[in-house]
Amino acid sequence: MARMKFLCDAERCIECNGCVTACNNEHDVPWGINRRHVVTLKDGEGGEKSVSVACMHCTDAPCAAVCPVDCFYTTPDGIVLHDKDLCIGCGYCFYACPFGAPQYPEENAFGARGKMDKCTFCAGGPLPDRSVEEYKKYGRNRIAEGKLPLCAEMCATKALLAGDGNVVSDIYIQRVNKRGGRPDTWGWATAYNFKADKETKP
Amino acid sequence: MKRNWLIAAIWVLLAVLVGCSSESRSVTMHKPGVYKGDSDELIAKSQQQQQVLNDRFKLVQTDR
Amino acid sequence: MKSFNKKWLTRISTEPAHQTGIDRRTFLTRSGAVLGSGALLGLLPLSCVREAALEEKKNFPRPDAQTEYRRTICTHCSVGCGIIAEIQNGVWTGQEPDYESPINLGAHCAKGAAARDHGFGHKRLKFPMKLENGAWKRLSWQQAIDEIGDRLLKIRQESGPDAFFICGSSKASNEGAYLQGKFASFWGTNNVDNQARICHSTTVAGVASTWGYGAMTNSYNDMRNSKVMLFLGSNAAEAHPVAMQHILRAKENGSKMIVVDPRFTRTAAHADIYARLRSGTDIPFLYGLLWHIFKNKWEDKDYIAKRVYGMDDIRKEVENWPPDVVEKVSGVPREKVYQIAKTMAENHPGTIVWCMGVTQHHMGTQTTRLFCILQLALGNIGMSGGGANIFRGHDNVQGATDVGPNSHTLSCYYGLAEGSWKHWCRVWGVDYEWLKTRFDTSGQYDAGGGKMDYTMYMPGIPVSRWIDGVLEEKQNLSQKDNIRAVFFQGHACNSQTRGTHMKKALEKLDIVVISDPHPTHMAVMSERKNDTYLLPTCTQYETYGSATASNRALQWREKIIEPLFEALPDHVILYKLAKKLGFAKEMFKSIKVTNDEPLIEDVLREINRGAWTIGYTGQSPERLKLHAKHRKTFSTNTMKAEGGPCNGEYYGLPWPCWGTPEMKHPGTPLLYDPSKSVAEGGLVFRANWGTDHDGQNLLASGVYSKGSEIKDGYPEFTADLLKTLGWWNDLTEAEKKEADGKNWKTDLSGGIQRVAIKHGCAPFGNGRARCNVWEYPDPIPVHREPLYTPRFDLVKKYPTYPDRKAFWRLPTRYQSIQSVNHSAKYPLVFTSGRLVEYEGGGEETRSNAWLAKLQPEMFAEINPKDANDAGISNGQYIWLEGAEGGRIKVRAMITPRVGAGTVWTPFHFGGWFEGKDLYDRYPEGTAPYVRGEACNTATTYGYDSVTQMQETKATLCRITPA
Repeated sequence: MARMKFLCDAERCIECNGCVTACNNEHDVPWGINRRHVVTLKDGEGGEKSVSVACMHCTDAPCAAVCPVDCFYTTPDGIVLHDKDLCIGCGYCFYACPFGAPQYPEENAFGARGKMDKCTFCAGGPLPDRSVEEYKKYGRNRIAEGKLPLCAEMCATKALLAGDGNVVSDIYIQRVNKRGGRPDTWGWATAYNFKADKETKP
Repeated sequence: MKRNWLIAAIWVLLAVLVGCSSESRSVTMHKPGVYKGDSDELIAKSQQQQQVLNDRFKLVQTDR
Repeated sequence: MKSFNKKWLTRISTEPAHQTGIDRRTFLTRSGAVLGSGALLGLLPLSCVREAALEEKKNFPRPDAQTEYRRTICTHCSVGCGIIAEIQNGVWTGQEPDYESPINLGAHCAKGAAARDHGFGHKRLKFPMKLENGAWKRLSWQQAIDEIGDRLLKIRQESGPDAFFICGSSKASNEGAYLQGKFASFWGTNNVDNQARICHSTTVAGVASTWGYGAMTNSYNDMRNSKVMLFLGSNAAEAHPVAMQHILRAKENGSKMIVVDPRFTRTAAHADIYARLRSGTDIPFLYGLLWHIFKNKWEDKDYIAKRVYGMDDIRKEVENWPPDVVEKVSGVPREKVYQIAKTMAENHPGTIVWCMGVTQHHMGTQTTRLFCILQLALGNIGMSGGGANIFRGHDNVQGATDVGPNSHTLSCYYGLAEGSWKHWCRVWGVDYEWLKTRFDTSGQYDAGGGKMDYTMYMPGIPVSRWIDGVLEEKQNLSQKDNIRAVFFQGHACNSQTRGTHMKKALEKLDIVVISDPHPTHMAVMSERKNDTYLLPTCTQYETYGSATASNRALQWREKIIEPLFEALPDHVILYKLAKKLGFAKEMFKSIKVTNDEPLIEDVLREINRGAWTIGYTGQSPERLKLHAKHRKTFSTNTMKAEGGPCNGEYYGLPWPCWGTPEMKHPGTPLLYDPSKSVAEGGLVFRANWGTDHDGQNLLASGVYSKGSEIKDGYPEFTADLLKTLGWWNDLTEAEKKEADGKNWKTDLSGGIQRVAIKHGCAPFGNGRARCNVWEYPDPIPVHREPLYTPRFDLVKKYPTYPDRKAFWRLPTRYQSIQSVNHSAKYPLVFTSGRLVEYEGGGEETRSNAWLAKLQPEMFAEINPKDANDAGISNGQYIWLEGAEGGRIKVRAMITPRVGAGTVWTPFHFGGWFEGKDLYDRYPEGTAPYVRGEACNTATTYGYDSVTQMQETKATLCRITPA
């Protein structure tokens, strides 16, 4: 069984925020919520790199592990989803998530915390697929339509890839080979304890 | 006499109340990781969707 | 701002947060999202938050409704990305990636991916309105047109037709833009213009005077074939994000990427080499490159000998720019200049990209010419992977440049001479003598240099200078009276310089008419209390027609949704006005009109019938629709259709698409590429300036396009030339009748072009590219310091031009400004640029909720050194005062992105004026979500010596804490 994954190619990401507005467009999330962010490191100086981040749909999702009401589930292809009817909006998953993915919309102008909202990999939630109720609570269900997340499908430079992890990594490996170097994805150096001694890029 | 009746009634009431307020000994334990929400019909479809999604990926997200 | 938060970054980052360790977005928008109710919400007016938060989800796809798919082209930049809209019951309910488009392959930036929000019309102007005693009052369309018409007719009677300034738009379709220009001609004035003036007018002038056409020579897609790419004054990652898809793929193929800019842009973040130069010193830098190229004999001698005129004059000027002088003037270290020159020379073919960082200078035309010269020296023009890839701005600015409205030329660069008018009168089917009577024939005026002329043959007042047309003393103008009325259809005034003067000009005008989807900054920036009309106008998503992308390709747009509220499309409004003003019958003679709506297809066919100069003749509506339908058959590398009904044609029939549509020319994907025959899209340099000058040959030597029967240079084609060559009898009898006495530009039968191409020749001749443009103020580009320069010590050596008495009908100052040392009081360079979320004046994009929430405030980027010198801390409000006294109140963003001594602001904001939010002056419900100071309130005087381009990229300012 495939596992659905996001991968953002930092060499291609230009911080244009197309993924962020595509997500807004597809799910019409409320003001104050962005399920996806573009994070920039070394902003405005040599070595500036950007990467688009949302829920990473972890295999062993910390949000699910800590949830006091067990509202999370993982689909067979690895998409982490949750049931908003069960969610109590406690914010504990926000503590657990290493990526700051969980969001809490304002229920009113005084800022009371609402039910948790996060990237669904455009797969909706536990309501009838492509129903109005599902759209209102979780956003559009593209997976049920045979399509992939709109953020990746609309990425300006095809930096953000979303799909079967094996297919995504095939494409990424091809690019890396073409560039003739190590992967430049953010986190790679940390993960493999790489010392950037041959760094030549400005 | 009336007073005794009253005391007896209070005793009875108290006994009834105490009886009512007794609780079950078993405590609800959340078993971490076991999903408690509604089912998602997408789960059943995952298998057959796979090829469709891979084709879609090649159509939209690959460099051409 | 205490609400600034680094948590987001530091929590997921393994690197320590450095001194200014928050990025631009964290700084401004942030963590609204991460913190639930963080900085973002804190920054926005509460009313705005409430309004947005309470808006319920609507306009979403419903499972039971039928979905229609319609395709249009994004209206936010010149890349030309396809948009697929899902429509249910007339409502725009979804947006899908147009992965079949060979241009964007489904990709979008923030603006394109948020396009659907325009379909909701949250902040749109809903009905015609009029300002009466300071209050907005609703009108009917009839009432509005009648009142405006009556006022205009009265002004015409009192002050002549030139008292009316018409501003068209590069956001209109080709058909709309063409009608805007035609409208002015039939009203009787050349006081008509569009954004192209302040976008790439200096490019068009500089590049066209070099080799014939002033447009991007290759295409975004073709950059994949480049071996080196030099970006100067272009921030493609923010201004043309989807172009970066092709650029980064070039880089992955081994191309070197060089970015030279005063600011370390997001494009620079991807570069192999980055160099910071001082604003306004592009010419010294380019001469610095040429110095190394000539010294090391890296130039392409064969290419120069065969295809270039006047390179030796350049060699002489280059001698004035040895490395130490270049470094001293431009600030680019000499090693870096050498490294860039070497990289350019060693990697062939190479391309150059430039944008407004280069064009918006008072010597912009000379700068753009020097780019061309550099490319000519390296032999990089006329081939795949090479070229001058000039990225245009707005979605149809290339089209609006081509088909009008322009103040200096009739549609398609025909100029304003008597012959030009006669040509178009024939196309329009009107009598030239009648049209003459529409103009001011009461007297002649100073056309510059003491030459007297009628206004019909004289460039009109350009959009960069309309304020001076209002404010200047009447006797100093080369027309009868001041401008008393303005009509702005689709142009934001906050993108023009000198906001404080503009406010005065607006207050002096008799009548202001704004035809726009939004009220715009113009409706609110002045203290006007009366006689301001707002006409709700459609976006291009509510109408249809063609648009020309930067690569000269025309794409057809379908209508996505019906006009919102009472809005009408450009062409309908123009028709209604023309009818009221009494010239609709003549103006729409060959265009079918139904219910006041001119038929778009007929308008394009009329353009096709007249636009021979640049080959806008082959792109019939039918052919464009066919291309849209079969877009997936085009190669994403060559843009050529491989099989299918468009086989062999190039996507969008990039102009020149010679001859009639029936001739089926495939379009020209790369300008001046002789490796293909002209019939298959090949070309040579245009022979536009005769056959020789000062005894030197201006025609190509031994170079010709594939299959040419003339194996050498040749002049442009005329009926007489065909006769001389013995090709006259290749014309049909009907063609002969029309072509006799005409040339390739004026023969309406297309016969001359057809026969020339049949013999393998380019209709416009086969000439040399010019390094010496003898008719310009600077025949050889020379460096001139900005009028407001931080280096007053260099003014003596590199002075500007003398003041001019009559230039585009106006006195124009140069020396009298530069001769004063402004840098003592205003020590910092002030420059501006784009944000990826917004476009142009920004009214439309700041009214788009999905974009507005990403950039909620106007700010200025300041180097830590300058901030510390001025005692400014990050995030606080500051006053930025321009060198002419205009002041803007903005947030300080302290960042090393700009060098010490330079302050940068985005130019998309409006709705504030000198510290005051003008929210209350908008008609109810129309103020954009995000308002802020227009940076141009603080910009200053300065206009190009050829095109009147405004100077926005190199002026001066000072900053103080507010």
